[in-house]
Amino acid sequence: MLFLLDFSTFLISGFLITVEVTLLGVGIGLILGILAALGDIYGGRIIRTIVNLYVEFFRGSPLIVQLFLFYFTIPMLTGLSMDVMMTAILTLSLNSGAYQKGYLKGAMEAVFKDQLMAAISLGLPMWKIFLYVVVPQALRIVIPAWSNELASMGKSTTALIVIGVREFLNTGISITSQTFRPLETFAFITIIYFIWIYSMLKALDMLYDKIKIPGLEPVI
Amino acid sequence: MTPIEQIIFLLKAVPVTLAISLLSFLFGLGLGILLAFMRIFESAPLRYLSDSYEKFFRSVPVLAVMLLLYFGVGPFIPIFKDPFFTSVFSLGIVSGANQSQIFRSAIGSVGRTQMLAAISIGLTRFKALRYVILPQALFLAVPGLGSEIALLIKDSAYSFIIGVIELMKHTDILRASQRSLILPYVSSAIIYVVMTFPVATFLDKWGSRKKKELGL
Repeated sequence: MLFLLDFSTFLISGFLITVEVTLLGVGIGLILGILAALGDIYGGRIIRTIVNLYVEFFRGSPLIVQLFLFYFTIPMLTGLSMDVMMTAILTLSLNSGAYQKGYLKGAMEAVFKDQLMAAISLGLPMWKIFLYVVVPQALRIVIPAWSNELASMGKSTTALIVIGVREFLNTGISITSQTFRPLETFAFITIIYFIWIYSMLKALDMLYDKIKIPGLEPVI
Repeated sequence: MTPIEQIIFLLKAVPVTLAISLLSFLFGLGLGILLAFMRIFESAPLRYLSDSYEKFFRSVPVLAVMLLLYFGVGPFIPIFKDPFFTSVFSLGIVSGANQSQIFRSAIGSVGRTQMLAAISIGLTRFKALRYVILPQALFLAVPGLGSEIALLIKDSAYSFIIGVIELMKHTDILRASQRSLILPYVSSAIIYVVMTFPVATFLDKWGSRKKKELGL
């Protein structure tokens, strides 16, 4: 496997792109997920329908289809020229937001029932209830489900090779086409993926143990 | 091709997509049950093996496994030169890890107390599993298995990359030949939603109804 050392900078840059799109996708997806969950719980019928259509579309279709769709149609419909990284991050965030909406909704409803009454009786306005009562606790409850989402996003970024993002798996394909040693290259890449995703999961597990709310363990 | 013909062309590829997903689901089901059993029985090496398998394959991208098997192992073991087999195999071994976890948590939520009760009335450990725990656990696993099927239908799109002619490939052919971009992708996305949504929701509803009936 020593020949891979010749490609170390190449591999590292690919790995950093993978990390970048994973974290940005999940981060922006978190914001979208919170908004979608709030819309689904407190919104009227129209907002709820829009949120559900959004969620069903992004959860029901493969990421590859979504990537192609955005990659080809956004420039055509809007005339904007998007580079692949922008398309990638946009698609991943929308995709991740749809998944996170489900987790966050469950967590918010777990906080919601009796504490909402208490908060209203204290005279807090609605937006303060979300900001100071519901969301902070929901974020703590949701961590175990959310760490699954982070792991699955980390794995899904491999789909980005279809639109030509130079992420980690794609560097492996380039190396293979130069060295003709696919076995070692892909085995190495698979193992690095395992190390990175597994350590993310472990880190979030530890975080959860630190900040979990006793008595409010998740249902998921 | 008219839009209708394009959609019919896409629908022609649906059986292949469904075949990949179902075959890999069944493969993963067998593997998952086996792995879950290895965790329950009190043998440290088996438990350790099953645990590491689960941890490894839950943290590894399916596409990386697929490329590794197809390009890396294919030249040495001829069966992996077949893209259809390779995609079913890779989706299956990854799904096995997921399904093992689904079964474990289902068995866990039937509860330790029932196991103890069964042993105390004189059943052996195996018989307690077979007649008391598993019949209930299988129902509890149904919603999880539903979303696993949905996940496999979506992940089967990856096999287009190693050259299986399935729905995603047909979409790509349309894109290349018809110079219309929106229709192929929107309609194939809708076809995927139509395949995944009913399975997941139906099995989820059925599972929670059964759960209520069983009083768990």
